[in-house]
Amino acid sequence: MTEEFDDEIVLAELSDEDLVAQMHDDLYDGMADEIAEGTEILLAREWGPGKVLNEALVEGMRIVGIDFRDGILFVPEVLLAANAMKAGMAILRPLLAETGAESVGKVVIGTVKGDIHDIGKNLVAMMLEGAGFDVIDIGINTDVDEYLAALEEHKPDILGMSALLTTTMPYMKVVIDTMVEKGLRDEYIILVGGAPLNQEFGDAVGADGYCRDAAVAAEMAKAMVTERRQAALA
Amino acid sequence: MTDSDAQPRTRRSRGGGGRAGRQAARSAPVIADAYLERTLAPVNVLDEAGLSQIEENAERILNEVGIAFQETPEALKLWEAAGAQVEGDLVKFPRGLCRQIVQENAPKSFIQHARNPAKNVKIGENATVFAPNYGSPFVTDLDKGRRYASLDDFQNAVKLIYATPALHHSGGTVCEPVDVPVNKRHLDMVYAHLKYSDKPLMGSVTAAERAEDSVELCRIAFGGDLADRTVLTSLINASSPLRWDATMLGAATVYAKHNQASIISPFILAGAMSPVTVAGLAAQALAEALSGMAYCQLVRPGSPVIFGTFAASMSMATGAPTFGTPEAGLAIYVMAELARRVGVPFRSGGQFTASKAPDAQAAYESAHTLLPTVQAGVNFVLHAAGWLEGGLALSFEKLILDGDQLGAMSVYGRGVDMSENGQAMEAFLTNPAGQHFLGNGHTLKNFESAFWMSGLADNNSFEQWSDEGGKTSAQRANEKWKQMLLDYQAPELDDALDAEMLTFISARKDSMPDAIG
Repeated sequence: MTEEFDDEIVLAELSDEDLVAQMHDDLYDGMADEIAEGTEILLAREWGPGKVLNEALVEGMRIVGIDFRDGILFVPEVLLAANAMKAGMAILRPLLAETGAESVGKVVIGTVKGDIHDIGKNLVAMMLEGAGFDVIDIGINTDVDEYLAALEEHKPDILGMSALLTTTMPYMKVVIDTMVEKGLRDEYIILVGGAPLNQEFGDAVGADGYCRDAAVAAEMAKAMVTERRQAALA
Repeated sequence: MTDSDAQPRTRRSRGGGGRAGRQAARSAPVIADAYLERTLAPVNVLDEAGLSQIEENAERILNEVGIAFQETPEALKLWEAAGAQVEGDLVKFPRGLCRQIVQENAPKSFIQHARNPAKNVKIGENATVFAPNYGSPFVTDLDKGRRYASLDDFQNAVKLIYATPALHHSGGTVCEPVDVPVNKRHLDMVYAHLKYSDKPLMGSVTAAERAEDSVELCRIAFGGDLADRTVLTSLINASSPLRWDATMLGAATVYAKHNQASIISPFILAGAMSPVTVAGLAAQALAEALSGMAYCQLVRPGSPVIFGTFAASMSMATGAPTFGTPEAGLAIYVMAELARRVGVPFRSGGQFTASKAPDAQAAYESAHTLLPTVQAGVNFVLHAAGWLEGGLALSFEKLILDGDQLGAMSVYGRGVDMSENGQAMEAFLTNPAGQHFLGNGHTLKNFESAFWMSGLADNNSFEQWSDEGGKTSAQRANEKWKQMLLDYQAPELDDALDAEMLTFISARKDSMPDAIG
């Protein structure tokens, strides 16, 4: 074991390059306090919040994602890594907002009306947070008014809806249809997921994407936000 | 031939009927038992110390952590009156209270009546009832692939289940007919069971009024008066961990009031919905089941309940549910013994798999669930046939393959025949050493039923198998279910009762707009 060696690391004494590498390791190991400390140190060294976000945190979580995909990291470890990421994001988020630097994106997510199953949705929220998204989880049993109110309040890039039950999954269409009626549909990327769904269902309810699992949800969310931002510039 | 040659010719029975008679006898439909009566003693994997420790842990969970009864004020009132401590919707139970309520009131076993009384099933004690897959949004078969289930698929599944002798029960939501509006599909499902089958069935649990509709349709189909007969056994899942939701409690309340049975089932993917260990899962499942069963007894003392456990684990590497794993097998044994110690019927197991096709993974994961299920002495086996893909799909081929294996388990569970005929001493005493037994009188008396014969396995030579198309078991099952549908003949149903059910359904459907939830 390298515990003794680890104990000797003083983050503030590391060069920028070594500190960023150490933060990648600390994210991997789910060490939230160390990530918060590393984030503060880089900011104190005049790093912009966008640079800290991308080079230290997002890059570290990219590595976590690869090893999760490859079966090296387990779900509880990814959860710890995402929590560490959140600790860094808590410091960066207000600074990113102040400087107008581009964040990874914001997601409002909830389980649909009539459905109280949230383990899958929570895993998705975890992966999204791990990918650097600001996730507003509005919980379970969410009706259309609650979705709309959350969209109005938080102005996210993405609306995520989940369902476990075949009896509740059609409610996604109710939400999307209401958004169409109110002329809000095109303002958001809509992603849907849950065990009884498939691509055909996602298409039928008018979602932009069907996410078969939490890892795909995070990848799709990133790709769609990037694409949308580029389209807005074009 | 030795002995038979010495017999006077007149003794030879003429009952065989020659070729035509034998062909008719061998192709006659199998007359199956209405349920399996086990003689095998259940396997137990824990000693007294282990079992009582888990019971102690469950009592601590009930007492110190509590169980949520969500958005059901009448349940909280009943619990308060029974002496439990209610905080918000969390109920904390004096030690031993739930167990005592269940033991003093719930039946050890009960009869679920079928439309055809010959198919009534006993649920509990030494009886095992096999019921089909439940709850899949998708169906799949080799011809059309994976797709959302329709009412047509549902009706076909019910017909196939009816025609599968080792399935004792018609089940409930054998697949989810997603082409019918959510608030109306229960009517079509319950009707399909009553119309296309005469085996016992399950009712709707997705809303209290749908449970009422299920009871009412049964009342009509059973001739107008249920007279407290239990004709429905329905699936009430806990929203684990340690939580009962209003929908399930609503349905359970309706069924208990009508003296209909509820399977009170903790639904646990260990790792996510319980701790990762078998003993941890067991303590939680016991606590959840005791609280749910006791609740039904508060609603109506003596109403039939089944202690359920759906236990699988979540892959810690991917988050996906896994099936047929050794830990889940151990959990079945532990929970079955805990249920016997409470003194109520037990539901668990089935033929589970995470495989996407009726392939080798599907077969071994299913076998690794089914054998513990039978050896643990499970009384009600939901998902005994057709389950694929972690329950997301009903496979028509697997329904047939699994049904075949249930036939094998029916023989296995009956155990070893130790009657005089079973001991076969007569065969030894009439057969010289070194002589084969094929012509022995004992063999001739017993050979037809001596060995379970698979209706699907291919035990022939390579050449014969190859000449017959070299088909895999799934391909053979595919041919078989299509033939079974062609051969299907509906059980009798009184036209007047049928018409009355249809009138009721149409009135109910007209009374409400299509809705979700």
